[in-house]
Amino acid sequence: MTRIVVPTSESGRWLGRLDRLPPAAWLGLQAAALWPHWRWAAARVADGSDDPLGLAALAAFALLVAREVPRMSARPSGRWWAAAAVATGAATLATFWLPPLVGAVFAALAVACGARAFLPSGHPSLPMAGLAVLALPVVSSLQFYAGFPLRVVTAQLSTWILQLAGLAAERAGTAMVVEGKLVIVDAPCSGVQMVWMAYFCACAVAGFGRLADRVFLRRLPAAGLFVLAGNVVRNSALVAMEATGRPVSEALHQGIGLVVLAAVCAGVVWVIRGGRDGTQ
Amino acid sequence: MRLFLHPPGPLSQIGRVLWCAAIAVFAAVLSLVWSSPARADDSEARKAESPYFHVNSSQPGTDRLPLKSTAVDVRIAGVIADVTVVQHYRNEGQRPIEARYVFPGSTQSAVYAMNVRLGDRLLTARIKEKQAARVEYEAAKKEGRTSALLEQHRPNVFEMNVANILPGDDVRVELHYTELLSPTDARYGFVFPTVVGPRYAGAPSAGGAMPAMPYLKEGEATPATFDIRVAIDSPVPVKEVTSSSHDVRVDDVGTPHVKVALAPAGNRPANNRDFLLDYRLAGDRIESGLMLFRGGDENYFLGLIEPPKAAPSRSINPRDYVFVVDISGSMHGYPLETAKVLLQNLIGSLRPSDTFNVLLFSGSNRMLAPESVPATRANIDRAMETIRAMGGNGSTEIVPALKRLAALPKAEGVSRSVIVVTDGYVNVESEVFQLVRQHLSHQNVFAFGIGSSVNRHLIEGLARAGMGEAFIVTKPAEAAAQAERLRKMIDSPVLTNVKLRFEGLDAYDVEPARQPDVLGGRPVVVFGKWKGDTTHAKLIVEGRSGDGPYRIEMATAGHEDNTSSALRLLWARQRIAALSDQEALEGGTTQKEAITALGLQHGLLTQYTSFIAVDKIVRNPNPALSPSVDQPSPLPEGVSNLAIGAEVPSTPEPAAWLALLVVVGVVGATLFTRRRA
Repeated sequence: MTRIVVPTSESGRWLGRLDRLPPAAWLGLQAAALWPHWRWAAARVADGSDDPLGLAALAAFALLVAREVPRMSARPSGRWWAAAAVATGAATLATFWLPPLVGAVFAALAVACGARAFLPSGHPSLPMAGLAVLALPVVSSLQFYAGFPLRVVTAQLSTWILQLAGLAAERAGTAMVVEGKLVIVDAPCSGVQMVWMAYFCACAVAGFGRLADRVFLRRLPAAGLFVLAGNVVRNSALVAMEATGRPVSEALHQGIGLVVLAAVCAGVVWVIRGGRDGTQ
Repeated sequence: MRLFLHPPGPLSQIGRVLWCAAIAVFAAVLSLVWSSPARADDSEARKAESPYFHVNSSQPGTDRLPLKSTAVDVRIAGVIADVTVVQHYRNEGQRPIEARYVFPGSTQSAVYAMNVRLGDRLLTARIKEKQAARVEYEAAKKEGRTSALLEQHRPNVFEMNVANILPGDDVRVELHYTELLSPTDARYGFVFPTVVGPRYAGAPSAGGAMPAMPYLKEGEATPATFDIRVAIDSPVPVKEVTSSSHDVRVDDVGTPHVKVALAPAGNRPANNRDFLLDYRLAGDRIESGLMLFRGGDENYFLGLIEPPKAAPSRSINPRDYVFVVDISGSMHGYPLETAKVLLQNLIGSLRPSDTFNVLLFSGSNRMLAPESVPATRANIDRAMETIRAMGGNGSTEIVPALKRLAALPKAEGVSRSVIVVTDGYVNVESEVFQLVRQHLSHQNVFAFGIGSSVNRHLIEGLARAGMGEAFIVTKPAEAAAQAERLRKMIDSPVLTNVKLRFEGLDAYDVEPARQPDVLGGRPVVVFGKWKGDTTHAKLIVEGRSGDGPYRIEMATAGHEDNTSSALRLLWARQRIAALSDQEALEGGTTQKEAITALGLQHGLLTQYTSFIAVDKIVRNPNPALSPSVDQPSPLPEGVSNLAIGAEVPSTPEPAAWLALLVVVGVVGATLFTRRRA
């Protein structure tokens, strides 16, 4: 027999209305409370400091949440709810002392924790958190911190590959001298964009496939290896063509990059889905 | 801790209200922080943090284009030009600024004076050792005093720095130089370069002190105006005054005093290419002559002797021609098209007994054949095909190309002529001269500069180092004529084993110490100092022409001219050029002392001396807040954006939106197949 409690006082009626708010509304309120971080992210994209790639991750995150709304419980998990509160607090405090990007990462994690709080126990959380972070303008910062090492590694591995192919190749910093011709591996060549794409791919496939967190975590490093290999192959092919003395046309340049990216993403999907047997 | 070990139950109604309130407080706090006065000033606010990408926007209140005008006044007396360049800077922004501007000069110019006019006041610049001048300039800049520093980066590239130009300030910088006009084919030419072409520096080891120069994009005109006026005074009437580069108005042609000014040229900018002026004197002969100047301490002379007309050679050695062609990015467009016309004219006129080769270079280099091939119709057609297929792109690695050329095998007894075709937009002149002097000086090296504003220093230096001749082609229409001129020269030298000496006069410090072969149409030019009595002395030029021994004598009596004080500067300029060549050959700064001493003694701008002018009054109370602005130069006419961008190939990732499309496609396809499964 179901007990129905009917509030009779004014305050009780208000509490009742709050109680009937759907989880999506709670999430919306939490996201709204963190609006300065989103405003910062939007400004950063709008002023050209970063590519608007995050919009794709944001859309994927929103789709994922929307898909799970019917499964959301009206009673959020206390542990995740607490985590969301801590992350929200950290995002707020970060505004005073930490770079805006760090605050925005806390804010994104807060929203991911908030969403996770309403989901059934055992539902994967990492892909959702990954998409939330990828929704932020992180590519420029990745370029700043990881770009140079990636360029050096790419240039060195490409040099070895070209040497194996019989070409006179030498690395000088992040530049390569191939058959007497200087080809630079500069920031746009670093592969950072490919890193974002690969992790986006991994998070989206794992999130929509409800892949368990520990399995996702175990398979994720393979995405990094695919990216590195892909960028080295792409760079080696283009450098070899440049070194022939004939400038590579823009269309061919783009074509090679896109084919390699597609192959990298296919590899990431294959690994995240569990390889040949597709076990998860 | 307990919270995580023992998870709390679902929130109570009051808990939810508190949660809502807490979030509202967070939001309010963040809103306050966001709109606090600390961020009210745009200039101080952190825009969206962008640690890597530079967002190119000018600072508010700063004038990015302080150079307003350049006016040039040229006075040509005989074969010597005296040039005054007035640059007018005005700060139309709201902050005091330091203006930096890189501009070109003539390759032969001897810069001997600089003045700065600040309103009604005149600051006279002094010549100083370069580092000392730089230190004085920096000190004056920090103290808030208006100051100007003129430095030489190349013999034909200068940098002007003007510090503490206050808002609304008018600063006029006057520059004075003199140069010798060396006639060719009885025509006299004056050149005023207006823009420095973008230089490719090559690998970092190539060094070079060229400043980083901003450029306007192709087709973008600078708002700075340009005007030039020329007055020619000659003992004989001046005729046929023309400019192949600009529309000019010429007054009093046919008289000994001619005036030339720029004609209104519509929308075509006047300062994106060299100003070229050609004139001929009555009599159609080079005014051969001797000028003697009696100075206070030392006396100077200039000898200008017309060579014999070319005579047909009776026996010609087997000849080999190597064409070295720059196909880098800056040659893209009309320079390369002109080079093709030029090569077609040259290669097409070779005799079957000649041999030839073609070396194309940009970032790398390649040859038509491993060894020179006979100039047969088939080989010429093959070369033409290669030339027609070449397109301008990539960097300008001229040094590796010349090294490869030095290693090219040559048959015994064959006379080799090397023809280098380039716009010279490189920054490695010293290495090039050294390489040519060490490995190619036994061959005749001809340098062909193609472009509206070629690097004449490189072109002329190449020819000087290779004992050859320099040719400049500024328009496609000139290519055929210049090719014909070169063909005539390399067919047979006019005068070889040239020797100059004085009888009855003690000549010393003669420049150049050794005369090159005379290849036709150009006089023998010699500078020097002298002692003694000129009444009975004579200058003797001897050599070997196609017809046998050649000798010409010129009496010195009556050639003394006390108005020719410029000879002193021109001699010093010639000596500095020779010492610089020597330094380039030896490497390092072996001639620094000698060049500095010459510069200081003669008050000349050199690579080791600079002009500095400093105001006595502190005008800028806060000089630390004065931004520096680099005046962008227009791209030389005919040079495309390829010259300033994407010179070194790289391998960027595909466009972000295309990449995203691919990734979304892969994810979408995966999810779709998964759902169907």
